This record gives sequence, structure tokens and C-alpha cells, in this order.
Amino acid sequence: MSLIIQQPGNSVVTDLGRFRGPRFGLPVNGALDQFSARAANILAGNNDNAPLLEITALDFRMRATTDILIAVTGAPLHLTVGGRECQQWEPVSVRAGETVALRRINGGLRAYVAVHGSVEAPVLLGSCAPDTVVGFGLRLAEGTEVKTTRSVPPIRQPYFDLPLFRLGLTRPEFHSTAVVEVTDGPDVDEFGDTADLLYSTEYTVSGRSNHIGLRLGGALPERQSTTEVLSRGVPVGAIEVPSREELLVLHRGRGVTAGYPVLAVVTSRSLDVLAQARPGHKIRFRKTTVPEATAKHRAALRELETLRSTIATVFPLLGIGNQPGHTPLAPAAGT
Amino acid sequence: MTTTPTPALPPVQVFESGDAALRVVASSPDREANWAAVHGLAEWLDAGGPDGVHGAVPTYDSLLVEFDPGVTSARQVRAFVLLGLRQLEFTGAPARTPREFSVPVVYGGEYGPDLERVAEQQQLSVEEIIGLHTAKSYVIRCLGAPAGSPMMDGPDFPLAVPRLKDPRLSVPTGAVSVAGRQAVIAPAAAPGGWCVIGQTPLTVLDAEAEPLVPYVPGDTLRFHRIQPEEFATYAGRKLEAAR
Repeated sequence: MSLIIQQPGNSVVTDLGRFRGPRFGLPVNGALDQFSARAANILAGNNDNAPLLEITALDFRMRATTDILIAVTGAPLHLTVGGRECQQWEPVSVRAGETVALRRINGGLRAYVAVHGSVEAPVLLGSCAPDTVVGFGLRLAEGTEVKTTRSVPPIRQPYFDLPLFRLGLTRPEFHSTAVVEVTDGPDVDEFGDTADLLYSTEYTVSGRSNHIGLRLGGALPERQSTTEVLSRGVPVGAIEVPSREELLVLHRGRGVTAGYPVLAVVTSRSLDVLAQARPGHKIRFRKTTVPEATAKHRAALRELETLRSTIATVFPLLGIGNQPGHTPLAPAAGT
Repeated sequence: MTTTPTPALPPVQVFESGDAALRVVASSPDREANWAAVHGLAEWLDAGGPDGVHGAVPTYDSLLVEFDPGVTSARQVRAFVLLGLRQLEFTGAPARTPREFSVPVVYGGEYGPDLERVAEQQQLSVEEIIGLHTAKSYVIRCLGAPAGSPMMDGPDFPLAVPRLKDPRLSVPTGAVSVAGRQAVIAPAAAPGGWCVIGQTPLTVLDAEAEPLVPYVPGDTLRFHRIQPEEFATYAGRKLEAAR
């Protein structure tokens, strides 16, 4: 039981991150768009943190060796299974031998593919998330065989004109100008009045951005003091001004310690927005507070909980159980 | 685990660092006391942090506490940190017997491309630089980027060492570097702007082990000089505690 990678594009197997990593000097890493990754796993009937595929920017194709159930989330794209056009953000049946193709990722940058029962990947400190510095993780190449754990017979749609699922999830929106919410960083005072430039400037995402951090061009706040800063832990989302050319916004691959003052910190919700920002996209920052940011994060989690309970109701009716070899029920007419 | 007589804890400030982290800073003039406080607090959090606290990253005088804002909140974690500090004041930081590591280094040449530059900047001979670098026992202050690098207070050079104007895109595994008043070994290849004065053939990072690096903050480390032809003899051996 496996997925055979036909066209890898730029893809890895990951999860929500290596949360025990930072204390050992390793970045947390993991899916950059956490909401989309969680949603894909929930839609596939998995735990939020199950290993899944993260596909960045480039077209991707794979073939399933058995019948499987998948869900594709993240940036808008053109999804086909065995040549049939399929919807993102809902469970999709794939038959043995069929090719799943993700083409023309647009609007955003990263897509997620979860497989019911998940996929196998090596684990370091409790996570399969790739770490480019240590050289750990499963990066997909042409011909890579990714082991799956469960086969799911195709779901039959009894009423041809109706969508199979009405899951009611608000899909994230993708714009070429994104608003990113931040809270004041612990060192905001070191920037004096120039800190306000962060909120009055439209920044442009540089092509040198990656999972470690996004580099943004635009008017730069300037540090007013020159005292040497001792290395210290910096949070994911920290905004720094390390050079005279660009603003640096650290993302999940960030080195755990650094010696630059932290001007502001991107909220957990807005880190998902940045995960989808393409080079050339515009970014505007808006100031918020920690309690508001926490409330928004929790609202998103509640939405995912609702989705999870819907899936928990629908899947058994469709015969998608947690046991391998579970026999599907007859079409659930009248229920 | 034994307890030491309770030294007064340094004054501590807690700063917001986004919705998923707090920065705790100890700010007494006594650097050792600051270091002991943030590392003691980190250990306390790692041993029994509340639900939703992922862990703590202590460095010199500061500690980053990371948490899941879906499970807990900055307000709750702040209260927990203050509780931990009171506890530490009562019990003292846990004391452990430091282990010592001995690190063979080939200095200069292709192994340490910045050795001569550092000597020139310090107005010392290359031999004097090597002498100072191997003279003392270093306390590992914290684990840094990349990949659990042992961050140490530097050798007793007369001057601070400036960072490279153009950081290298890749510094090899085992590189032994200095910058400012700090010293470090690179467990993994990564970009870097520190001056590389030598290289150790020992394997520092073991991606199969947990933790990945054999030392913890508070352990000590000593460098000793080997010749280039000895590099291969040590290559592939793991860095292990001498005692």
C-alpha cells in the first residue's frame, strides 16, 4: 500500500512540527499553513498532527497503489484524480492505479494532501517534519514510494447531482495583498518612532523567502540603540531588521536563537497567511493585542472542531471506519 | 539532584512575545546569577510545565517560553512562570555535576580559514591565538542555532572578534569559531558569519540519539590541538564526556 511519486515538484512529508525541538536548539518546523494542514487531516479522518504531504509552488503528481481517501487543502489549484476534476477542501476517493495531479497552484503558495490513515515517515524528537539544517526528513523525489496504512473502497455518490459533502468550512481566502496581524515585540522601544513605519508601509515579498523566514522589501524601521544583544530565543513570527535592505519575518524553520531585537511578532493566525504569500505579493501589517490574537486562533480551532464532529458523523455512514478492511455500508439513503 | 544554598534570585521581567511565547529576562548585574535563574526556570518548566507549554529556550540572561495558544494563554503561562520563580527562590536551582568534554581541533589552513585574520586583528601570533583558545575550560552557556551548537563565553583574547562582513553560505560540520566574546562548535553545516579558526573531526550531532547533542548547558569543554594528519584518526568518532 503506497503512493508512488510521479512528479515531486517541491514536496515533503511533514506534520504540525517538532515542538520539543527548540529546547535542543532545533527549530519547530512543520506545516507552514497550520490551518490548512489540520483541515486536510481532519477531512481525511486523521488526527490533526498526522504526517501529510506539503507541496510548495510547483505541480505535483502521484499514483495510488490501492484505493485510498484523500483531502487536499491550502492554496487554490487544479485538482484531478484519474483525469476527473475534483474539489479541494473535501474528502476525495482515489482508486488503485489512478493518478492524483495538483496543478497550477495559484493565489497562495502551499497545498496539503492528507491520506486517510496517514503515511509513514521517519521521526525525530516526536515529529516527521523535515529539518534542512540537520538534514532530516522525507523530501519526495520521482519514484519515491510513500507507504500508506489503510485502503478505503471508493465512496459512491447515490444522488448524482448533489455534492457528497456539505461541510460548511470557511475556506481561507487568498489575496495578492494580505493583511498580517502582529503584536508589539519585546524590543519595540528600541526602534523609537520608526516602529510606526511597519504599519504605514506596504511591503513586497522577496523571492529569497522560504520556510525559515520571509524577506520583505519596503520602508524599514531602524534600531535607535547600538548596544550589543546577547543571543536569545526568538519566537516564530518575530519581525527583525537585520540589514538595511529588508525586513525579516521568521517562520517555522527559524534558528531558535538570534541576537537581533524583535520589533513585532506575527500572530499564530497570520503566520498561516504568510505561509501562502508568494514572491511579489504585498503585505500590510496591522497591530493587534495578544488577547485578540488568542481569541482569533481559538475561533479557528473551534471551526476545525465543528468540521471534525461532522466528519465523525459522516464517515461511519459511508463505511469509512478506523479499521483496515472495514466493509462499506450501502449508500446511506434516508439517513 | 541536590539543592544549593538559596542565592537571592535576580530581578526578573516577563515580556509578551506574540500569542504563543513569552520572554523572561533576568536583569541583575551578576551574569552568573542571571544565567542560573533562567536555566533553573527552564529546567523547572521542562520537568513539569502545565498543559500547552511546549518548552523553554534559555540562553544567557533570557528564556523564551513557547506554548500552544489553543490550550493555554500568555496570561496563564506568565502566572506559571512567576510561580516557578517563587519555587526556585525557595528550593534553589537544581545543581548537577557538570561533565567535561575534550575536543580535538586542527587549527588554521583549510580547517580554520580565519585563524590568521583573527591573529592579525588581535595583534597576536597564530600560536598565541591557539594557545589562548586551548588554555581554558569553557562553560557551555546554552544550545544555539544551528542544531544545538554549544554556545560558550569566548577565549581570553584582548579584543572582541568582529563578525565576517560577508557571512559564509555554508560553514562545515565541526567548524570551531569565535565571534565577539563568544566561542562555538558547529554540529551541522549552516551559513555563518563567525570567524572559523579550526575544525574538529569528532561527530557532535547524532540525529539518531535523543537529545541530539551529548552536552547540556553547564557542562564544560576544553579544546586541544591536533595535527592535520591526525584528523582522519578521529573522524567519525562521537564527542563523549571525558568524565
